Amino acid sequence: MIQNTFQGKIIIFFLVTLLHASHTNALDFKAYGFIQPESSIYINGNGRHGQDNYNTSLFGKGTFISYLQNGDAKFTISTIGRFDQSDDQLRYLDFQKFKYEYYFDDVTLKVGNEIVFWGVNETFNIVDIINQSNLAENISGTKKLGQPMASISYSRDYGTFDIYLMPYFRERPFSGKEGRPRLLFEVDKNSITYESSAKKRKIDFALRYSTVIDDLDIGLSHFYGNNRTPVLSPNPLTLKFDSHYPVLSQTGIDIQATKGPWLYKLETVSAKEGSERHLGAAGGIEYTYYGIRNTQSDLGVIVEYAFDDRNDNPFNNEGIIGLRWSMNDVKSSSLLAGYLFDMRGNSNRFQTEFEQRITDDLKLFLDLSLNGSIDETDFTHQFKEDSQITIKIAKYF
Amino acid sequence: MKNIIIVLIILIGTKLSIAESLEEKGYNIAKSSYESGRGFTDMISDQLMILIDPKGNKVTREISAKSLENLDPYDGDKNITYFETPKDVEGTVMLSHTHINEDDDQWLYLPALTRVKRISSSNKSGSFMGSEVAFEDFSAGDYRKYKWKYIGEEMYEGDLCYVLESYPTYENSGYTKRVGLTDELLRARKIDFYDRKGELLKTVFFEDYNLYGDKIWMADSMKVENHQNKNATIFQWQNRKLNVGLDKKDFEKSSLMRLAD
Repeated sequence: MIQNTFQGKIIIFFLVTLLHASHTNALDFKAYGFIQPESSIYINGNGRHGQDNYNTSLFGKGTFISYLQNGDAKFTISTIGRFDQSDDQLRYLDFQKFKYEYYFDDVTLKVGNEIVFWGVNETFNIVDIINQSNLAENISGTKKLGQPMASISYSRDYGTFDIYLMPYFRERPFSGKEGRPRLLFEVDKNSITYESSAKKRKIDFALRYSTVIDDLDIGLSHFYGNNRTPVLSPNPLTLKFDSHYPVLSQTGIDIQATKGPWLYKLETVSAKEGSERHLGAAGGIEYTYYGIRNTQSDLGVIVEYAFDDRNDNPFNNEGIIGLRWSMNDVKSSSLLAGYLFDMRGNSNRFQTEFEQRITDDLKLFLDLSLNGSIDETDFTHQFKEDSQITIKIAKYF
Repeated sequence: MKNIIIVLIILIGTKLSIAESLEEKGYNIAKSSYESGRGFTDMISDQLMILIDPKGNKVTREISAKSLENLDPYDGDKNITYFETPKDVEGTVMLSHTHINEDDDQWLYLPALTRVKRISSSNKSGSFMGSEVAFEDFSAGDYRKYKWKYIGEEMYEGDLCYVLESYPTYENSGYTKRVGLTDELLRARKIDFYDRKGELLKTVFFEDYNLYGDKIWMADSMKVENHQNKNATIFQWQNRKLNVGLDKKDFEKSSLMRLAD
């Protein structure tokens, strides 16, 4: 965020670069974004920490892309922000992208904030590690924070090599006291420790090789740096969670085979934290029926499973069965429904996401998240009473 | 006896050559028509798609596109489509490596997920962005994807046209038959499409032909009328430029990120 001095310096550097560039080139740019009021109803009534059964929020995103040096360079700003009625941890502004890229023939140089996704799975993205997850946004961790980095990408016929140097670590945001869902205790922002003596100034390093061989998309990756996931331990004095970020060394493989309407996906990681090594694997199958019942609708069936050899990992034996229905109409109506379950216990959760364009610049989103029976031993038990319906309307500009 | 055999051979030969000639003639016209559109090397354009419902309500979609001609006669062209509107999909980029008789390779960059996904392309008959244009229609000009038959000649808008029937040879097509008119400049002018039940589904009109690079005729407008649901789609090409110096590297999965936000 801006108030941070390190990022502040980077932003000033960029603004100077951009001003310089705008003097020497005619500015060719794109700018677009949306604002999105949201409203949630919690169907189990008030929360177990006394949170309200109703919440409103305003979310927005703005993207500015400037093409420089006759298209050999690009400057991008992509910012998201939220103002939440209840949760002070959901009042933020994040520069998802704030980067300058320069393109040589085979090489791309990039410096600044960026979002980098690795992997192939729909649900269990175990290889993906570059960006910090914003758990205040959602507990599945799909919403990310922009990661400051310098990166080089080198592409040849046989594949692409990416090298990332990440000089600044971003701590994981969690829901605040009034947030819903939230953890049993608040996460204490003043009690954070690191295994690395450089703490958040540790220079994290990552390498990826990716290639396409006919119908196979393959990625091999390695990450060495602060783990994005902290170890949380309750502090009996403060009644808050202390967090500790160990150093993680993780090697990952992700493969997708695309065979007609069938997609086969697999991600595996071998990771080391301290002296402990663990293995994880997640994968699945996606099949799409096109033009069901002689309409333009498609119905996709997704089955995914995640395994982790650590017993305390929330995704150590989880599965999901999902359906994706796309109407392929003028309004781009679609419905995604997923039934997420723990294979050992009887914990389960049901989620749907419906979306439909109302006019050319208005879109409706309807999200439903229902917690079924959840084992007391399950990580998600603390969110059991947080089933919700959320309506969002995005206005694009 | 010898004479009879010779006569028989001549008869059979003639008959074969007549039987062949309808298919061959159709094939040869389609091949020549396709080849007259080749040599563009690479191409950029802005495209406007107007979707019209039976009541006459219109919505407009804008995309910009790049194509690279594949000189390999056994493989298809490469295309990049950048979606400008509707605004909720702005910044979405699609890359396809097309193939002649097998599924295309397709990747989609989704800005909301900041992620490139390899997607299935076996949805040949599906609608492109809710329009009356199916995915398979984008490669409709490639003669190698069909069996051909020459039917005859017909006047269309004052021009003499060949009437050609064609039958898709690739899997998952939504059509059983197409009946098209190709003029003497080898330009497709109109095609009727018949659905899987053999009923007339839609008619595509190719209009606003312009000569590019002094040698290639390209239709800058395509109108699709669906006879069954009564919807129509008008596709217009603008700012079309050929041979702008794109190369293979601009059409790799890794180059998608250069076009992303």
